[in-house]
Amino acid sequence: MPFFAGDIFVSDVFKKPVLDQAGEEIGKLKDIIVGQGDPFPAVTALVVASGKSFFVLPWEQINLFNKRVISVNVLRTTLVPAPPAPTDILICRDLLDKQIVDINGAKLVRVNDLRLGDVNGRMCLIAADIGLRGILRRLRLESRGERFLALFRYRMSSNMIGWHYLQPVEPKLSKLTLTVSRQKVSQMHPADLAEIISEASQKERSAIFGTLDVETAAEALHELEPSIQADIIDDLTSEQASDILEQMPPDEAADVLGDLPEKKAEELIQLMEKDEAQEVKELLEHEVDTAGGLMTTEYLAFPPDMSVEDAITELRLEAPDVETVFYLYITDDRERLLGVLTLKDLILARPEVALRDIMRSPVKTLPLDTEQKDVAEFISKYNLLAVPVVDEDQVLRGIVTVDDVLDFLLPPASRKRRRKL
Amino acid sequence: MPGVGLFERIRSRLGGSRLIVILSVIGPGFIAGNAGNDAGGIATYSIVGAREGYGLLWALLLITFALAVIQEMSARMGVVTGKGFGDLVREQFGVRVTVAIMALFVFANLTVTIAEFAGIAASMELFGVHKNLSVPVSAFIVWFVVVKGNFKQVERFMIAISLVYVTYVVSGFMASPPWKEVARQIAMPTVKFEKEYFLLFITMVGTTVTPYMQFYLQSAVVDKGVRIEEYHFAKYDAYLGAFMTVFIAFFIVLCTGTLLHPAGIVVDSAEEAAKALEPLAGEFASHLFAIGLLNASFLAALVLPLATSYGLSEAFGWESGINKSFREAPQFLGFYTAFIAIGAGLIMLPNVPLIKIMFLSQTVNGMLLPIVLVIMLRLVNDREVMGEFVNSKRMNIVTWLTVAVLILLTALLLVTSVLSA
Repeated sequence: MPFFAGDIFVSDVFKKPVLDQAGEEIGKLKDIIVGQGDPFPAVTALVVASGKSFFVLPWEQINLFNKRVISVNVLRTTLVPAPPAPTDILICRDLLDKQIVDINGAKLVRVNDLRLGDVNGRMCLIAADIGLRGILRRLRLESRGERFLALFRYRMSSNMIGWHYLQPVEPKLSKLTLTVSRQKVSQMHPADLAEIISEASQKERSAIFGTLDVETAAEALHELEPSIQADIIDDLTSEQASDILEQMPPDEAADVLGDLPEKKAEELIQLMEKDEAQEVKELLEHEVDTAGGLMTTEYLAFPPDMSVEDAITELRLEAPDVETVFYLYITDDRERLLGVLTLKDLILARPEVALRDIMRSPVKTLPLDTEQKDVAEFISKYNLLAVPVVDEDQVLRGIVTVDDVLDFLLPPASRKRRRKL
Repeated sequence: MPGVGLFERIRSRLGGSRLIVILSVIGPGFIAGNAGNDAGGIATYSIVGAREGYGLLWALLLITFALAVIQEMSARMGVVTGKGFGDLVREQFGVRVTVAIMALFVFANLTVTIAEFAGIAASMELFGVHKNLSVPVSAFIVWFVVVKGNFKQVERFMIAISLVYVTYVVSGFMASPPWKEVARQIAMPTVKFEKEYFLLFITMVGTTVTPYMQFYLQSAVVDKGVRIEEYHFAKYDAYLGAFMTVFIAFFIVLCTGTLLHPAGIVVDSAEEAAKALEPLAGEFASHLFAIGLLNASFLAALVLPLATSYGLSEAFGWESGINKSFREAPQFLGFYTAFIAIGAGLIMLPNVPLIKIMFLSQTVNGMLLPIVLVIMLRLVNDREVMGEFVNSKRMNIVTWLTVAVLILLTALLLVTSVLSA
């Protein structure tokens, strides 16, 4: 069984010497043959070129395969030169530099490099590198390029398309089609989906969105860069768009609507269900980068004289619709914030006790116009999962959860990079 | 009746089908050829006529032949493969060669684009229009036409511009050259073995056969969607383009050769030639010459950025096409816009070292042409790429010979221009 470690880029091993058992050079690695495995084609053999003759070395004979050494278990003298069969799929010849198109045939990008990796113990073709990194790697300028771009404070991201999003390989392909079929898309994590969508063309994006169920679409939409969100909403019919917006948490829906032209946003809000529309409208009134703009209006709030037992029953009913269940807020009949309970407090308390008797008070709150940065610092300082936002009269208006300000809490490098085109 | 244009009326007069055939013949090749007569080309021909009279007219026959052979191959590759030159280079020669060619191509074209805007500025100044007005206006028109127009409209626009070259034919006739002498010089040239004569000869070849013409022709054939059944149209279109290029060049040489050469007036640029014509042949002739220069610069200022954007998009697999919107093909139109902005912007600066830029563009184009021609011949003979449409044996003798001569001449041009710098 060949020994290989981690992921390998084809450009890193291309033209590397291939050694035999005795350490003699057989030739240079010319190409890699893969089977027609789905979704990840497994490596079946290496093609080694020595002068004008070729050797096809089955994967089972390979001993070491990595960036530095490629060696086989046989002796050079026992090998018989033979060209690869016409039906073989040679990844350098057949896949590298090929055009990637979407299902509508619009050109996206070319395959700049290919990534091999371990899938269940087999070396497989796992991804196509479509980024600048891939091109620089092919030119053997990756690290130099990186240092150069760092001078301009530009970080190259790695841009890959997993092979499971590409059509199965065949010999002599003229182009590779992105197979974002209905079925595959619905199995994808929304974040992965967002990655595909931001690579896709305008037409394609709308096509992809058309095939999604409303919930998945809502989640994927949230993962995208605001400008792309606006483009997509623009292309959908108003009914589709408002359905998707209703599915989103109000704060996220408000974010999306805030990026749209006022007229379009108005129209969509009109189409949304009354309750949802009301919440979104309220959120839209606040500046986007303040506590008011960040907050969600879906939280758990109970009256002070409710018993723990009733609260737990109520919690079960309301939990699906709220963003966090870790905090329960106690409000009076005018929705003024009286206290807070953690989920732990609630579970550990005796069932007949009233919430008033176990709640924590006073509560750490923020006014509506708190800057985003200050919200983040506040949450971090008091180790909160969410912070309630109140107006001048101490009326609870919403909560900001930690994930809404996570970007501000992390050091710049590890911040989530929103996917851009 | 409003809405029914001149075109429709002509069509009904002529009988639809015949005109459709004529119109589908004329297109990419015709435009590519005419764009080859750019500001630099017209300057060269004016100088050739002024310095050598009719002494180099014979060379135009050779150039027609070479250009026709090369442009036909470009058209054939486009029709057969449905891919641009950038596509084929990337797929058949990999990232390294592609990046090297594209770097030269972009640089060369940028310098030529600057020269075209300089041509616009110079010709409009002959009419008393300051470059701060003429350059931004023409840059905007060039940008607007491609970004807002569809392929058909843009092609017709460019064909219409190409017809303005007739001004040179008129100037040529107005000079009333001694036709017998002209014919004698072409049929029985007296080749001078002098350094300056020879330099003018190779400069003329270098300025007429330029890589952007091949890139543009092939990409435009693909963008137009010419099918394999229509190949013979495309072939005659390419031949027609080659003929037109040299036909116009002929009349420019004729004009300056008849009027300036006997008077012993030596000029160094096209606008000087236009000015020098005024006392000899009157204001009208001078204006015709200037309009020709304006028109030529304008057409090339459109074609060059377009050819560059096509080439880059093909090489890196981005969506391209005149019919596409900014959303669908952001890189294609983005580069197009940037190219025009830089080209026009640099001319607006005071003290642009135009001579140095022209020299650079000649040098870089001289380096690029041999590479492009050799790659072209390898591609056009590759059965995997061209199928049955590879060059025939006889064709190969002709093309290799042509290419060898062109390479030799460009190499000589490179060496002499570097030595004289």
